[in-house]
Amino acid sequence: MTKITHRFLKGTFWTWLIPALMMVALVPRTAVWAAFGEDLEKPKPEFTREGDVITAKLIPRAKSTSVSIHFQVSGGRLIDVEGMEFKEAAHPDVDNKDFKSELFVIKIDKVSPGSEVKVSITSDFFSSSTQYWIFNRMSKEPWMNGDVQNVSLPDLVQKLVISVKDGGSFDSDGVADGRITLAGGPKDSFWGYALGTLFIRFFGIFLVLSILMIGMILSGRVFQMLDKKKAMRAKEIQLQPAAATPDVQPAETVGSELATAICVALHLHFSAHRPTVPSHFFTLEISPWLRQGRERIMNARFIPTNRDNRLQNR
Amino acid sequence: MTWDQVLELIKSILLTQTGIPNLSLGQVIMILISFFFLYLAVAKEYEPLLLVPIGFGIFLVNFPLAPLMGFTEHGDPELIRAFYKYGVQWEIIPCLIFLGLGAMTDFGPLIANPKTLIIGAGAQLGVFITYCGTLFFGFTLKEAASVGIIGGADGPTTIYLTAMLAPQLLGPNALAAYSYMAMVPLIQPPIMRLMTTPEQRRIKMRQLRPVSAKEKLLFPLVASIFIILLIPAVAPLMGMFMFGNFMRECGVVKRLSDTAQNAMMNIVTILLGLSVGATMQADVFLSWKPMLIFGFGLLDFIICTFGGILTVHIMNLFLKEKMNPLIGSAGVSAVPMAARVSQVEGQKADPDNWLIMHAMGPNLAGVIGSASAAGMFIAMFK
Repeated sequence: MTKITHRFLKGTFWTWLIPALMMVALVPRTAVWAAFGEDLEKPKPEFTREGDVITAKLIPRAKSTSVSIHFQVSGGRLIDVEGMEFKEAAHPDVDNKDFKSELFVIKIDKVSPGSEVKVSITSDFFSSSTQYWIFNRMSKEPWMNGDVQNVSLPDLVQKLVISVKDGGSFDSDGVADGRITLAGGPKDSFWGYALGTLFIRFFGIFLVLSILMIGMILSGRVFQMLDKKKAMRAKEIQLQPAAATPDVQPAETVGSELATAICVALHLHFSAHRPTVPSHFFTLEISPWLRQGRERIMNARFIPTNRDNRLQNR
Repeated sequence: MTWDQVLELIKSILLTQTGIPNLSLGQVIMILISFFFLYLAVAKEYEPLLLVPIGFGIFLVNFPLAPLMGFTEHGDPELIRAFYKYGVQWEIIPCLIFLGLGAMTDFGPLIANPKTLIIGAGAQLGVFITYCGTLFFGFTLKEAASVGIIGGADGPTTIYLTAMLAPQLLGPNALAAYSYMAMVPLIQPPIMRLMTTPEQRRIKMRQLRPVSAKEKLLFPLVASIFIILLIPAVAPLMGMFMFGNFMRECGVVKRLSDTAQNAMMNIVTILLGLSVGATMQADVFLSWKPMLIFGFGLLDFIICTFGGILTVHIMNLFLKEKMNPLIGSAGVSAVPMAARVSQVEGQKADPDNWLIMHAMGPNLAGVIGSASAAGMFIAMFK
């Protein structure tokens, strides 16, 4: 690919990016949602009965583990609890994502006609802000807030208590006949949860990494301190033998260049007092002048390192 | 046998036992898409180690009647389905990749300058903004989280989280993550230049202190204690990552460390790439969602880069020794590509400025940050 093409692609990448993102942003939300098809997280409850209590077990929206919701009634007899799909109660003003569990139809009998019963719905899945909304298709406004009493119990369990009057607005059959049918479900604000948790979790990462950072800074300081101590101890050990032999100068006080210079100066000084005829290295073939020259060269090579040679030259 | 019977037999064989009459337009498009990714990997060398197996996985799985991604009559998985089931669905491969990554990682630059951990946290901004944006477009909470994590620029983390929360999006998410990771040198520099002045780009940072072997050895233990205690959900990823690093730093299991870094890493990369590619069958991939995921993935990367640089600017308000804001972009965990981009941009401003080691700190912090973000999401949906 040529440089020009590469530059062109690089340029166009950034020019198409913004319009592309704008187009994405302009696509109507409902259209996109429709394109995605069905609700993927439809919770499907399974019911079990134990005495007067009916328990629904389900995996709610945005969760991976199942939760239990317990139903109990006072002032009447709990006959049955059934699941109800949200699409049966769909309404433009109500978002199914606000209902994390499926809707429930609670059937009660043996109620004194026209009297009130209390329905208790208990779960550790509810929060203190959980509401219970009632659906009654016979009513003018089919969806209404159940005005529940939200009671906190030990172990993070919440109990929702709804007062339902036989034949009242919450009773789906609308007749005071000693039987109550209550349709509805626990409701939590989807956006409230999503944004609230978003905020908490983003700052949670800061918190976690800040704690790790503090731990690392502290441990780093400890390690640096230990390393410093170790280095100081090593230095002390190096210095100790030097103190035991005071006649030897520390090696670092005289550099190699200075030592060479001193030796050359000594050589030049002592060579002035050299005898004219050396007592060793005598051969007939070599003249005294030549021999002396050789000796000087050889001695000069040893001067920096060999103390004996230096003494010999005296 | 009459001529008609022979013709009928041939017709039956053609229709039921060969792929040609069963080939759909969507499958042809997907095969062309696989060619595109193979081209990017081979000709452009964009993350070839992953895009080659992913591209080939897409290519293979879009042939009609090919017994690769389905189940046999007895319910046993076919070849690539078995890789997918036991490797990805059981969340084994991403954790093994983290083990290998840990064995490859030198945490020295991060230990020498722990402040850069905050940059790794700041660079997760895009993860959460994208999460919010995708919710607006009708994604479920779990899907939104799995799309959001793309911006963390960490392939195994993206795969791990997506397999856990929204397996139906595994293909597009993994592909978006790896494609944009390969495009880091293209995506980041304009944002880096936009968010910094030439003077800021020329800031020189003090050389990092030497880190002792003991300190490096203790780091995986200390980090595991803090992170796993605070976010237990991230234990599989972080535990493997730190275990790999401990093997590297302890120096007594060189054979194991070497296997984790090379042989094992190569094997799991092949299996992961093929499995991820094989999830991109025409009927799943050709819809609005993958296109939106690609759009949001890019936006995610941009915001994460922005978040990292912004974090450095904020930190500089309080620090005596200023940090070069270019290292902020390395807070996304595309290791070491993002750090290299910081180095290149820094040298453009001042040829004597060497930022690579300083940028490795936030880069490694990005790995921890994105894994922590994944852990946060997992805990949220538990």
